[in-house]
Order: sequence, then structure tokens, then C-alpha cells
Amino acid sequence: MAEMVLEVSDLTVRREGVRVVESVSFDLAAESDTALVGPNGAGKSTLVQAILGILPHHSGQVRVLGRPLGPKGQLPGSVRAQLAYLPQSFTVRNRCPLTVADFVGLGWDPPGLQLPWRGSERRRQAVRQALVKTGCSDLADRLISELSGGQTKRVLLAFCVVRPRRLLVLDEAQAGLDSQAAEQFYGLLFDLRRSEGWTILQVSHDLEMVRRTCDGVLCLNRSLRCSGPPDHALSPAQLERVYGRGYVPYHHHHR
Amino acid sequence: MNDGVALGELLSLPFMQRALLGGLLTGALGGLLGSFAVLRQLSFFSDALGHSALLGITLGILLGLNPTLVLIPFAVLFALVVSRLVERSQLPTDALLNIVYSSSLASAVVALSFVRSYKGGIQQLLFGDILGISWLDLGLIVVLLFTAVGYLGLTRRDQILLTLDEPLALSRGVAVPLHRLLFIVLLAVVVAISIKAVGVLLISAFVVIPACASRLVSVQFNGYVALAAGLGAICAVLGLLLSGSFNLPSGPCVVLMQLVGFLLALALAPRQRLA
Repeated sequence: MAEMVLEVSDLTVRREGVRVVESVSFDLAAESDTALVGPNGAGKSTLVQAILGILPHHSGQVRVLGRPLGPKGQLPGSVRAQLAYLPQSFTVRNRCPLTVADFVGLGWDPPGLQLPWRGSERRRQAVRQALVKTGCSDLADRLISELSGGQTKRVLLAFCVVRPRRLLVLDEAQAGLDSQAAEQFYGLLFDLRRSEGWTILQVSHDLEMVRRTCDGVLCLNRSLRCSGPPDHALSPAQLERVYGRGYVPYHHHHR
Repeated sequence: MNDGVALGELLSLPFMQRALLGGLLTGALGGLLGSFAVLRQLSFFSDALGHSALLGITLGILLGLNPTLVLIPFAVLFALVVSRLVERSQLPTDALLNIVYSSSLASAVVALSFVRSYKGGIQQLLFGDILGISWLDLGLIVVLLFTAVGYLGLTRRDQILLTLDEPLALSRGVAVPLHRLLFIVLLAVVVAISIKAVGVLLISAFVVIPACASRLVSVQFNGYVALAAGLGAICAVLGLLLSGSFNLPSGPCVVLMQLVGFLLALALAPRQRLA
């Protein structure tokens, strides 16, 4: 039986008193790539943020690598270190003067009190390797605030790969990318998933990409409406259940 | 008046030595905290804090207590209440801060009119007074500097991540609410302590200008923070010397020196940084 990296049971999340996500249950097996799809306002970002402990959850249970997530997002540091998150929009506030290498190094460090010079050589080495793996070596000394959208996404992947992870959660990673940049990003993600053994949960609106790259699909519209392999979950009948009657999927034209 | 002699005389005066040391340390503190405050868009918050400090000082005077000792708890309490208000309110932050600082300034001025005489004088409260820096203030500043350097140094990576993107920091397990709270408290205490030298009207410049100047020319985070602190310290010393030499109010002199530093940084900054 496959190891379960993420187990979500009967999860309900409220925002400002309103139930945004209701009674959601699903499991993710190790090294699977699952897409979370649904219309705008369906609660996709809320669900992934609750799973990561960014938002508190109201009821239900989340287990990451077998360890329960506390209602306020508490997780043991050793488990937390194996999670990585790519936010929907990552805009560097007020042009923070941080180089790409320094930023990627932040992904290597565990949170908490630390002497500034501790582990600096190991960190440097890990950062170098992460930049090579993601094809960002030439960006190492650039300011992160001066990168293009595509470069920023690759650097975020370097932030994730700088330390071994088990679960990678992406929230609309393709947002802001043109079709060529999105194609390159997904190619890189696909390669890294294989080489790093990542389990992936990704929020996406690009159903064509989901059909081509994911093993499983979760269709959310406040509650989970359907799930399964892409051929089943993305059939016209199922999509109508999620998006409503008369839904016509938009196709990106990837080269 | 021969400025060289006057400068030598000035430097031999104990109060001036105290003021310069105080200016050096508070300038460094302002730059250090400012480098994070500016990136976290807390510039206006420090301005509101500075203006409201007048109310804290007035309370101290009315109660017959040392204004510095009243001001620190007042500023911390004020900062906590206002940040809670900003988090909870549906109003835009700048509008809310405007209401808070103008109403506390108005309350302070009305309350001050009941005070028959204040040996410091309103001018000194508004624009700062180098004579106002006591040994007690100096001791507090040294403790505060060690606290700020220790806290920000040991949590440097968490602080950067939190400054960059809060959800990303939360996903990494950074204690975001705790760090946000501690930083606000630290900023409030720094503002409260620096007010004697700079005055309530110009205190936010102490926090904002060195950090902005440093941001224009920095290409690396550690360098950015160090330069902001260094600029803050140098401009404070030069401003206090200018103030002492020509008997000018200390706050505006420090801020004018910071402006010179900012203009220099503007001239040296790569063109793409200004776009």
C-alpha cells in the first residue's frame, strides 16, 4: 500500500464567519501529482492555505507525513521542513534588496533563533546546487525584485529544491506566465518531481495542462464535487457539476 | 565666530559628548529598524507613533512624572492598540492612522494648554533638544541597541522572509504574528527614546530617510541594513554638531543631514533603481 503524504478528512475552513471550504476529504499518495481545480471563489487557495497551516481550520483533520496539523497550523519542525509552497502571487515588497542566492538560502534554513553565520558553507553549497537544478545559476547575483515572472517562478522552485522536500503545494503557478514560460515551468517541475520524488498538489485553471501532467484531479466548489484520474474528473459531465451548466473549458495553446 | 574653535569647545562639553553619543546610537537604531519598517510599509505608522508621543509626554508632565519613563509604556501601548485597530478595521490604513495621529496630537496640544510651565518648552518637544539627552536616556539607548541587534540578528532569516511575503513565511513555520508584534514594540520604544533628540514632528524621518537612501544604492540585504544604520548614525552626529555650532534645533539639523545623504544616494543610484 502506497505511503500517504497528505491525509485530509472532513476539513472545514471559515473566513470571516463564512464557510469557504466544507467537509473536504482526500488523500495524496507519495510521489503523486494532483491538481485542484474549480471556478473562481471555489475555495481552492483557502483549502491549500489551510492544509499548509497558513490559515486556521475550523474542523476536520489534516495529517502531513502522518503527523496531525494543529488548528492554528502547528506542525513539528521536522515535518514542516519537508513542505514547500509556491504562492499564487509573489511580488517582492518594495523592491527588497535581496539577491536570488540569498533568497534561495532562506529556503534552506529552518525557522527560529540562529546565529547569522551558522551553516553558511553548507547553505552556500545547497544554494549552488539548487540554482543549477533549476537553471538559475546565471541569476544568482541578481536582485529578486528585478526578475521577470518566469524567472521568479524558477527561483521559487530553487527555493523549494534547496532542501529535500516531500510535499510541494503550488497555488496557480502558471499565473502571470505566457504560454512559453508556462510550458518551460511545467517541464522543469515535471523533471524535478521525478528527480526529487516530490508529491505535488497544485491549484490550476489550466485544464489542458492538468490533463497532460497530473495523475489525479480534485474538483472543488466549496465542497469536493468529484475526484479521480483526469480522464474521469475532467469529462464534460463532471466539469458541468463543478463549474455549472454550459461550462466551456478554455484551452491554452501550448507549443 | 571661528567654527573650528567652536567645534573643539563643543566637543569638550559633557552634555555635547552625551548628546553625540546618544545621537550616534539612536541614529543607528533608527536606521536599523527603519530598514525593515520601510520594506514592511510601516513608515506612516512610525510617523503616527511620533505624533502621538506628544500625548504621552503631556501625560507625564500632567502627572508630574519623568516624561521619558511615561513615554515608553505609552508608545508601546499605543502601537499595540493601533496595530490591532489596523488589522481589524475595514478602513484604509493610511486614513485610519491619519485619524489616530491628528486626534492624539490635538488632544496633546489641548492638554498642554493646562500646563502652566514646562521647563523643556514646546519648541523642544516638537523639534528636539540635544540638551534633553540624560544619562538615563543613554543607558536606555544602549540596552535598546543591544536588544534590537540581538533580536534582529538572531531572527534575521525569519525577518527577511516575513518582510518579503507573509504567507510564504507562514508556510515555512515562521512565527509571523509574534515577530510582527515584537517588531512593532521595538519600533515604538525606539521612537519614544529618539524623540528627545529629534522631536515629535520629525521622528519618522529618523526611521525612513536613512533606509530609503540605503535602499537606493544597496544590492545585498546585509549591506542595506548596515548602510541604513551607518547613515542614520553619521547623519545624527553631523546634524547634532551643526545644531550645537549654530544654536539651531537639533531635530531639523539631523533631518537636513539625512536629506543630504538621501540626495547623494539618489545621485549615486543606478538609473534602473529609480524607475
